[in-house]
Amino acid sequence: MTWVRRNLFRSVGDSLLTLVFGALALYVLWGVIEFVFITGRWEIIQVNLKLLLVGRFPEELLWLVSGSLMALGFWVAAAGGVAKHTSEKPPSVGAKIWNGIQRFGLLAGVGILLIVLSADWDSVALGALIVAAIVAGRLVALARNKIGALSRIPGWVWQPLLAVAPITLIALTLSQASIDLWGGFLINFYIAIISIFLSFPLGVLLALGRKSTLPIIRLISTTYIELIRGAPLFVLLLLAGVALEFFVPPDLSPGSIFRAVTVFTLFTAAYVAEVVRGGLQSISRGQTEAGKALGLSTTKLTALITLPQALRNVIPAQIGQFISLFKDTTLAGVALNVVDLLNVGTAVTKQDDFLGQGLIYEALAFVGLLFWVGAYFMSRESQRLEKRLGVGLR
Amino acid sequence: MSSLPSAPSKPPIWRDIRVLRWAFQLLVLALVMAMIYWLYSNYQANVAKSNIPTNLLFLDNPANFTIPGNDLDQSQPVRDAFVQGFYNTLRVAIVGIVLTTILGTLVGIARLSRNFMVRAIATAYVELVRNIPLLVLLTFMNLAVVLQTFPRIENAWLPLDLFVVSNRGIAIPWFEGSGTVLLTVLAGALIATWIVVKLRGRSSDSTGKPARGLLFGLSTFVILVIAGWIVFGYNWVLPFVDDRATSGGLRLDPSFFALLVTLVVYTSSHIAEIVRGSIQAVPSGQAEAADALALSGGQKMLLVVLPQAFRIAMPALGNQFLNLIKNSSLGATISYFELTQIAQITVGNGSPAVPAFTLTLLVYLVISLVTSVIVNIANRRLALVER
Amino acid sequence: MSKDVFTDATIMSGDRSDDDAIVVMDNVYKRFKDFEALKKVNFKVGRQEVVVVIGPSGSGKSTLIRCINRLEEHDDGRIFVDGTELTQDIRNIQEIRKETGMVFQNFNLFPHLSILTNVAMGPRQVRRMPKATAEALALELLTRVKIPEQADKYPSQLSGGQQQRVAIARALAMKPKVMLFDEPTSALDPEMINEVLDVIKELARDGMTMVVVTHEMGFAREVADRVVFMADGEIVEVGTPEQLFDHPKEERTKQFLSQIL
Repeated sequence: MTWVRRNLFRSVGDSLLTLVFGALALYVLWGVIEFVFITGRWEIIQVNLKLLLVGRFPEELLWLVSGSLMALGFWVAAAGGVAKHTSEKPPSVGAKIWNGIQRFGLLAGVGILLIVLSADWDSVALGALIVAAIVAGRLVALARNKIGALSRIPGWVWQPLLAVAPITLIALTLSQASIDLWGGFLINFYIAIISIFLSFPLGVLLALGRKSTLPIIRLISTTYIELIRGAPLFVLLLLAGVALEFFVPPDLSPGSIFRAVTVFTLFTAAYVAEVVRGGLQSISRGQTEAGKALGLSTTKLTALITLPQALRNVIPAQIGQFISLFKDTTLAGVALNVVDLLNVGTAVTKQDDFLGQGLIYEALAFVGLLFWVGAYFMSRESQRLEKRLGVGLR
Repeated sequence: MSSLPSAPSKPPIWRDIRVLRWAFQLLVLALVMAMIYWLYSNYQANVAKSNIPTNLLFLDNPANFTIPGNDLDQSQPVRDAFVQGFYNTLRVAIVGIVLTTILGTLVGIARLSRNFMVRAIATAYVELVRNIPLLVLLTFMNLAVVLQTFPRIENAWLPLDLFVVSNRGIAIPWFEGSGTVLLTVLAGALIATWIVVKLRGRSSDSTGKPARGLLFGLSTFVILVIAGWIVFGYNWVLPFVDDRATSGGLRLDPSFFALLVTLVVYTSSHIAEIVRGSIQAVPSGQAEAADALALSGGQKMLLVVLPQAFRIAMPALGNQFLNLIKNSSLGATISYFELTQIAQITVGNGSPAVPAFTLTLLVYLVISLVTSVIVNIANRRLALVER
Repeated sequence: MSKDVFTDATIMSGDRSDDDAIVVMDNVYKRFKDFEALKKVNFKVGRQEVVVVIGPSGSGKSTLIRCINRLEEHDDGRIFVDGTELTQDIRNIQEIRKETGMVFQNFNLFPHLSILTNVAMGPRQVRRMPKATAEALALELLTRVKIPEQADKYPSQLSGGQQQRVAIARALAMKPKVMLFDEPTSALDPEMINEVLDVIKELARDGMTMVVVTHEMGFAREVADRVVFMADGEIVEVGTPEQLFDHPKEERTKQFLSQIL
């Protein structure tokens, strides 16, 4: 009772605020609930679910996507390993379950929503299989801890072993299904992951260059970074859309996804460079001096001492960068006509069956939901990781 | 002393550390130059094949399109269209920055409120908006809200009888009279207010009585503006529906409105986090010292915490302002005729793509640089004033 | 003895000849922007000699030893370490860094690596020893500084005194010809100073050539062969601990000693 009084009705003014905002909140909540469950016409989503999620991915190869999802679930569950409990009391089973719900509840919720929307048994089966794969992954991780033979396998053998399944599946998917048919939510993820992957080495090089003592190197790196950071991503994408073919040898005609990935990579590299630079600056000078005094060459010093620490320190910021990139992939839909989730979302409202019925709300709500859950989940995980690593660079 | 070798041996070139450093740099430079050359030669080859000019002469060609909300003639050169686009970008940027700072600061403070309801709503707002892509928000604002929810002109909403809201835009009451004169009046009033506040401050310093700068300053400002209003014969004009359009007042273009609201809402969620973080970064000892001095809650915030928080937040805020300016380029997706949209249209009409977009990029770069400089000056001023 | 004896830092203790000089600094000059850190320094350190350098802050004593392993670059004059001259030649610099070991005031252990890896880093990466040999050597050295059980821990888990001892082991792992100590105990809590000093004293007794910059006078008295007093970038006075501490000749020396003793 005192909690209520302290937090809601501390004073007259306070109580007034509570009532006004409380009423507002209830009004909005009611509107949302009404929209979702009563007045919303979700048929448009149900009918176009595949298009929204994977674009025009060939039907017969969809099992590759499902398989990749399962393999990924297994891998993430297994590679994470079992947390070492440093506190005196290991958490109870109930606490662990509640923890799990807090962490993955949203994802699971969305998964269930998708299954309900698709309304066929195939997706239920898929959902069950993914859950099974994750459970299997946890069991394997546990087994590694408990079974002597498994725990003796060195880390550098075990991890790649676990990664074999998802990587082969993803590679297969890439080779079998032409990239230009990919679309929907899948393509947002794919572009983001490829771009962050490619931009990373370039970004690290730029960061090292910016901090270098050699003036020309520093100039080149700083110029690149500042030029890119002053430019709107949208304009760069538009430029790539009409101009990229001018810069490659004639007779080479790059597809839109290639253009998108190129621009995103070059763009993100500049931002990654700034993030890594922050990490490099956090390493005390004494470290480099100690390394030099031992006789380490500059390359070895950077590779063994400076970079590992810097990169570890900026993991949360890096994840933040990835989340931004993930959200920005929507721009490729408009600038380059990539058939991403947002693009599909607006396009389906113009289909013959749904034209002119004002279904844009339903479409955008679904699109917004998927992006929101993805971004929110990733930022929570990043916060969790930050706490676990005990690092935090503003 | 006698056992030293006669003269220092010069290291061979390939082991001399200075030579090595420069050789490395020149090598990298050569690589970069080679890459640029390769790109450039590709460009030349392709351009020669397709016969598209690569200079800025296209700026003199007639535009062949009109810009809504503006009397640009079709035959005026592209250059003028670009200038108009630039103005439109500035319009949405400046208004946007002002509004988003206000909203963001309020939400940021709200996130630290002791009232649970206020705190919860602010947190929900921030978490909701932060994680949605800007383009999704913008599309929603444009397609769903403005084009769909807002009524057609025949059934326009007339909130408070002062505004006209329809899917053609929002009309607000505006003044009738010369804009420049009004700006001068406002500027004069601001200067006068500043003088009054300073004088009150000085009188308060010597007499000890409260300065009440806010009271005096505000009254001065209001009185002067009203006086100027009457003297120069200004009039309020209320908008009304006139056949299929609105007359009178200032009409805010629907895409301008959509873009502005989206940018403000989106950026303010980031600013709220920055403001919250910087308030929390002010050492708690500061608030404690303020309490020990018996300052009221408002005084504590205004005089002690916020100024320091602002100083901490300034660089990050500057970054958000830059983001807002760059994000305004998304206006092109909803037909708001800012710089990027102009560029897209002229390219669609036949202007050469690479020069047009490069020019656009350069303009954005310049805007970014100028904003960075302004933010840096603000940063330094804040630090100086405090010290 | 002429007046010059107690200002000439090139005269080594014992009856060492010039052939026994491990470190030779001839007319070394070093400036930072407009601050002259070292003005015409002439200095020699002989084989197995222990030289302690004292002086007020800003006197150039840190710069002196940091020039020896090229952490600072001298602007004029010549420096030799074990016969190799310190020039712009990258090979010379590498050679000299292999032969000199340095212990820093702030330990500067690598926080992301285990203690064992920290110590084994030098031999493994620079002397290219195979991993197993390097780690065995590391363990041996950790035993010598009396903390072998910490081998698998990380620097943040150790106390300051333990970290500094690991730093000493790390420097020793390179089997250097001369060890340089830059105020090794200045950043330690008082109760840990002795454990580190004991290790350094034992090193001295085992015959390691050392240059130690420190404020610990008791330590200097016990193990130093020579004490060098520096001020304002110059070597002001030199002598045995008894000569310098008990019978200082120069005014500046007397002033400094009166402030700290």
